[in-house]
Amino acid sequence: MARIRFEHVEKKYSNGFHAVKDLNLDIQDKEFIVLLGPSGCGKSTTLNMIAGLEDISDGALRFDDEIVNFAPPHRRDVAMVFQSYALYPHKSVFDNIGFGLKMRKVPRDEIERRVREAAGKLEIDHLLDRRPSQLSGGQRQRVALGRAMVREPAAFLMDEPLSNLDAALRISMRAEIKELHRAMQTTFVYVTHDQAEALTLADRIVVMNDGVVQQIGTPDDIYERPKNTFVASFLGNPPINYIDGQIESTDGSTARFRRGDLAFDLPASIAAKLGSSHGREVRLGIRAEDVDETAAGAAGSVIRGKVNSILPVGSDQFLGFDLAGQELFFRVGKDLAHNLGDDVALSVDLNRLHLFDKDSGETLLW
Amino acid sequence: MATTERANLIDDRRRLALSHLTRNVVIFVSAIVLMLYVLAPVTWLVSSSFQTEAEIVSVPPHWIPENPTLMNFEAIFGATAEEEVTYETRSGQDPASGGYIPSTAGNLLPAMGNSLIVATLVVILNLLVGVPAAYALAKIRFLGRDASVYFILVTRVIPDIALVVPFFLVIRKLGLLDSLGSLVLTYLAVTVPFTVFILVQFFEGLPDELDKAARVDGCSRFQSLVRVFLPLSLPSLVAVILFTFLTSWNEFLLALMFTQTEASQTLPIVLAAFTSDFTISFSFINAAGVLAIVPPVVVAVIFERYIVSGLTAGAVKG
Ligand SMILES: Nc1ncnc2c1ncn2[C@@H]1O[C@H](COP(=O)(O)OP(=O)(O)O)[C@@H](O)[C@H]1O
Ligand SMILES: [Mg+2]
Repeated sequence: MARIRFEHVEKKYSNGFHAVKDLNLDIQDKEFIVLLGPSGCGKSTTLNMIAGLEDISDGALRFDDEIVNFAPPHRRDVAMVFQSYALYPHKSVFDNIGFGLKMRKVPRDEIERRVREAAGKLEIDHLLDRRPSQLSGGQRQRVALGRAMVREPAAFLMDEPLSNLDAALRISMRAEIKELHRAMQTTFVYVTHDQAEALTLADRIVVMNDGVVQQIGTPDDIYERPKNTFVASFLGNPPINYIDGQIESTDGSTARFRRGDLAFDLPASIAAKLGSSHGREVRLGIRAEDVDETAAGAAGSVIRGKVNSILPVGSDQFLGFDLAGQELFFRVGKDLAHNLGDDVALSVDLNRLHLFDKDSGETLLW
Repeated sequence: MATTERANLIDDRRRLALSHLTRNVVIFVSAIVLMLYVLAPVTWLVSSSFQTEAEIVSVPPHWIPENPTLMNFEAIFGATAEEEVTYETRSGQDPASGGYIPSTAGNLLPAMGNSLIVATLVVILNLLVGVPAAYALAKIRFLGRDASVYFILVTRVIPDIALVVPFFLVIRKLGLLDSLGSLVLTYLAVTVPFTVFILVQFFEGLPDELDKAARVDGCSRFQSLVRVFLPLSLPSLVAVILFTFLTSWNEFLLALMFTQTEASQTLPIVLAAFTSDFTISFSFINAAGVLAIVPPVVVAVIFERYIVSGLTAGAVKG
């Protein structure tokens, strides 16, 4: 039951480090928001400001309409799951989960009921008498989730809760967290540097870099319509390929991208957005998966080069591709048999191209 | 050839076993020597406190009393401050019966009481001041935090002897000369920095996220300290309790400066005074010494079982 709004929020640490810059974010009630960005970009700082664990240097933070800048954590109705789980080592699992309720003076039998219910859902009811030191990583993770769940908070904050789990467990926990969100019907703010996690879980993703929000949008927005080269590069595996070149346009309806011998006829939809920008320096983005090996695509979409490296990744393979001295990486089907040094022709899906201004890195398309 | 190899192998094994044996023997003997070195004086103290003055000077010494006597202890517990020490009592037949009892013998038990009061107060006040201070220094970032820690530590580099005169002036100004208050105050000045130092070290070792989790769970800073940090810091708290208790119990220099009468004199002062009496009863002094080690030993035994390691295991991913 909380809408959380950042209005021009700034965070400067006492050592002068400017960790979050002019943050504007309107998190809707019951929304699942993921803060995504590289390590050190200010995600945890942002989350801690919501929890009240870090002061806000400037701007306003609102829960619904109330400004909460100065409310201490225990006066905010939020629960948090930490990367290290931060279980109380001297308390049993039961007391760990029930501690938040006890501190909020919930009657004893109500605590008992809620802890058992949460433990049941998380399938840790047989562990309630243990100490955290007697649990596996995955079990500790569940206790940490349970501790937040029983509180039935207005907002559920999670700081990289899965990053200490092994890969298989991480995937299955993603599904559980999504289910938890559905069942709890409350606002979730989830921090991660893992793009796959963000894309799976989020209603909306907030991509951050160096304390600055780069883009806010649905996973589809973020992946398909990145606002700048940072966002485009941060999502995608292997990362998007860039080719720098110029726009040649004769009129407003057709346009062509050219770098030396390489040229693409840009589709009308893209050309329309470019207007008359003849000679403009641009950076062309091709996602690794947006190529077709059969090379039978439309004329003006074929790139030729030498196979530099082959990295099988199970279902697919990554092809390192030498295009006139520039290394590009593509994801192609694994049945395609190439040898190192082979000359290959790939056809690019022109409708899925990305175009950025070369200097600013901002998109030219949307 | 196979047989010589085999023989060599056996030889090697034997050599290895032998070197293990010698190593173990060396360690064992060293341990014994160390134990004797540590325990012998205490043993002699206890043993001689049950001997008469005549037996105590016998050569070779009797490690186990041949005629054990409780007279020294009776003398301590029977002595009163007003007891007359006359030529007659001093020249009595049995040295242990009070003949050579120092004139200040009656001060012993009151001094012990004083020592207990001072040490207990110092321990309690240390915890009351040191624990919140250490938590704040370890877990709250505020302006001047580093300077504060540094300043607190630097005060411990100054030797007590340099502090005696300034302390004396302050204590006199406060009108606390010859009172237990003077000792409590100055002992705190000496021990609190150490307490803070130990606890800051420990609290800093506890993950920040534990503090954050507690506060999100509904704890104020103070509740986080009491409900999460304190239960986890029992071993450090015990170290602090033992250290501050022993420091107060043993302190001599400051006590010598600030106390003048039985009203405030502590055990070390009274014990030391026995040796400067014009006749000395070693057995009596040793009995007093035995009494002096009882409270620290009791304190150590009470708290020793809380010195357990691994209390914080499992807080973080591990
Ligand atoms: N207490 C602090 N004092 C000074 N700088 C800090 C503090 N905490 C974090 N930072 C800095 O702020 C930046 C953002 O940190 P954080 O929000 O933890 O990043 P993220 O969670 O995105 O990895 C980092 O560069 C970090 O070094
Ligand atoms: Mg972080």
